[in-house]
Amino acid sequence: MIWTKPKVAIFDLTDCEGCEVQILNSKFIERILESVEFLHFRFGQRVNRWEEFDVAFIEGAVITSHELGLVKKIREYSKLVVALGSCACFGGIAALNNFIGIEEAKKYVYGENADKIEILYIKPLSEIIRVDFMLRGCPIAPEDFERLVSDLLAGRISREHTRPVCMDCKSKGNPCFLLEGIACAGPVTYGGCGAPCPSAGMPCDGCRGPLEEPQMSAELELLKKIASKDDVIRLFRKFAPLAPLFREAGGEDR
Amino acid sequence: MIIYDEYVTQIEGHGRVHFDIKDGKVEVRLEILEGSRLFESLLRGRRADEVPQMSSRICGVCPIAHNLAAVQALENAMGIGVSEQTRMLRKLMISSQIIVSHTLHLYLLSAADYLGINRLSDLYVKFPEVVKRCVRMRGVGNKCIEIVSGRAVHPINSIPGGFAKLPSKKDLEKLAKGFKSIMGDCIQTFNLFASLNYPEFERVTEYLALDDGEHFPAYCGRLVTNKGLNVEAKEYRNYLTEVFKPYSTSKFCVLKGHGFRVGAIARVNLFNDRLNPVAKQLLKNCPIKFPSDNPFHNNLAQALEIVHYAEEAIKIAEELSSTLKDEERPKQTRAGIGVGVVEAPRGTLIHEYTVEESGIVREANLITPTGMNTTNLEEDLYTLLTANRDKPKEHLKRVAEMLFRAYDPCLSCSTH
Repeated sequence: MIWTKPKVAIFDLTDCEGCEVQILNSKFIERILESVEFLHFRFGQRVNRWEEFDVAFIEGAVITSHELGLVKKIREYSKLVVALGSCACFGGIAALNNFIGIEEAKKYVYGENADKIEILYIKPLSEIIRVDFMLRGCPIAPEDFERLVSDLLAGRISREHTRPVCMDCKSKGNPCFLLEGIACAGPVTYGGCGAPCPSAGMPCDGCRGPLEEPQMSAELELLKKIASKDDVIRLFRKFAPLAPLFREAGGEDR
Repeated sequence: MIIYDEYVTQIEGHGRVHFDIKDGKVEVRLEILEGSRLFESLLRGRRADEVPQMSSRICGVCPIAHNLAAVQALENAMGIGVSEQTRMLRKLMISSQIIVSHTLHLYLLSAADYLGINRLSDLYVKFPEVVKRCVRMRGVGNKCIEIVSGRAVHPINSIPGGFAKLPSKKDLEKLAKGFKSIMGDCIQTFNLFASLNYPEFERVTEYLALDDGEHFPAYCGRLVTNKGLNVEAKEYRNYLTEVFKPYSTSKFCVLKGHGFRVGAIARVNLFNDRLNPVAKQLLKNCPIKFPSDNPFHNNLAQALEIVHYAEEAIKIAEELSSTLKDEERPKQTRAGIGVGVVEAPRGTLIHEYTVEESGIVREANLITPTGMNTTNLEEDLYTLLTANRDKPKEHLKRVAEMLFRAYDPCLSCSTH
């Protein structure tokens, strides 16, 4: 079945809205504006409707009880739900406070008013509602979004990438950080991003979470030789801290 | 009466306006309901080289500003002095960031107020040339950010000491050409926003921006206002205070106890004599004059800045395309406390960090432009809604929303 004018919604929860900006940055933005109908897009338009959505994109982390109710409502209205970016997929950077301790973190920022601020223990969206597809990354790669939209318009959902970031990195001709003794999450991280970080002279920080069945123990063995335990924790607990395998990479939760 | 039961649309982040009349007394609250990510907390214990990348995640609309305020603060804390070339590349990043962010705000968020557009696709159907112009301008700005810092949203290689990787001279040449190719679009943008009918509303306030003694505000400088404040940025705690309000996750910032304004209108009000030539000429021929106390004129000030920063970007990219050379990145020399300031698209941004000798960040404090503008916006909303109190609810909603949007608030930033 080919979708004509699918009804689309884009919702943002607690986040930086950078993935929505990446959508607006897409070189296909004009095609997207022509080929889909935005029923709900608070960031982009003022008149928004709750009707059945063919696909809803949810960006950001669920941090307040309002957001918790909202995502459940979105699920009820949507044929497909796409988690947009690593905050939705893996808790994102704000989920680092799970490990610090939310009470302590709140006290540091709000002092004596900490009790008046509501912050939930962050979970990946897929632990709260059923998620049909994850667009990973901090931020998402525009290419992934474009691929998903073309696939949706053709009536199918994109296949998962099965390669690590290393494949993208090699195809760019970058030197290997690990061979130079610099900690890099590339071998275990979900590829398809085009390896922008190594191409810009910085190691992969695992923002897309792990690929399916990564060689995690081999990666950790290797990292042990070149990085401190704390640095290994910092590498995997950054932009996708609640991703499976990444959250445990530094040992027990703490 | 809450004039919003939902969040205000077409602004960055989640907020609404509470308006009520009780016993003849008007009550206005700016309710910022963005979730708190507690950035100051989660940056503690991180390595200094990770912090600029992490702090950019505060905002996907102005990530460069957070990256560079962090880089500068960390360098001041760790005793790192950077080269003129690094400073120029950073100014190029800021120029592009402001063009990209202002263009997003003016065309995709604010224009609908003046063109009568309710849905994004209507904007494309009714004003396709406007959308195409916006896409061209953002395309060139984003390309520049990508080439200098590695990615359009969330910079990669801009770290304490400089850049993990430098662009090539050829890339810089292309960027200069790119910015030249959008100069016409930038000028048309200014002409469009100079021709709009802005609501008649004025309220005198204090305007703050960075003064480096020479240039239109962008990177570094003293905190300067039109009412005589002129202090070193690192003394900011003596003048700026953040106040907690029970109805907002964002703290409200005050300057010596009162509201003040940062952003495009503040920069243009204070330093329009330092604009680049084309921008200066456009302003000279414009019927709307600055300094202006009409907060809606922030839109026009942004359009003017787009021209100024495009001229700036051409200048910098052209110069660097012939002078760029490989440089050693200077390293940490001490532990300490450092403050960094830049002009974000929405105004002056302050980051402060305490860094240990080991290079680990121990303390963090951030004050964002929208945080600085909150008190002033609430005061403006109060004045505007009080003046219109007898008008129908729909009208109140519309003007409050227009004012809110004219501030170009970034609530993800202000709560962080």
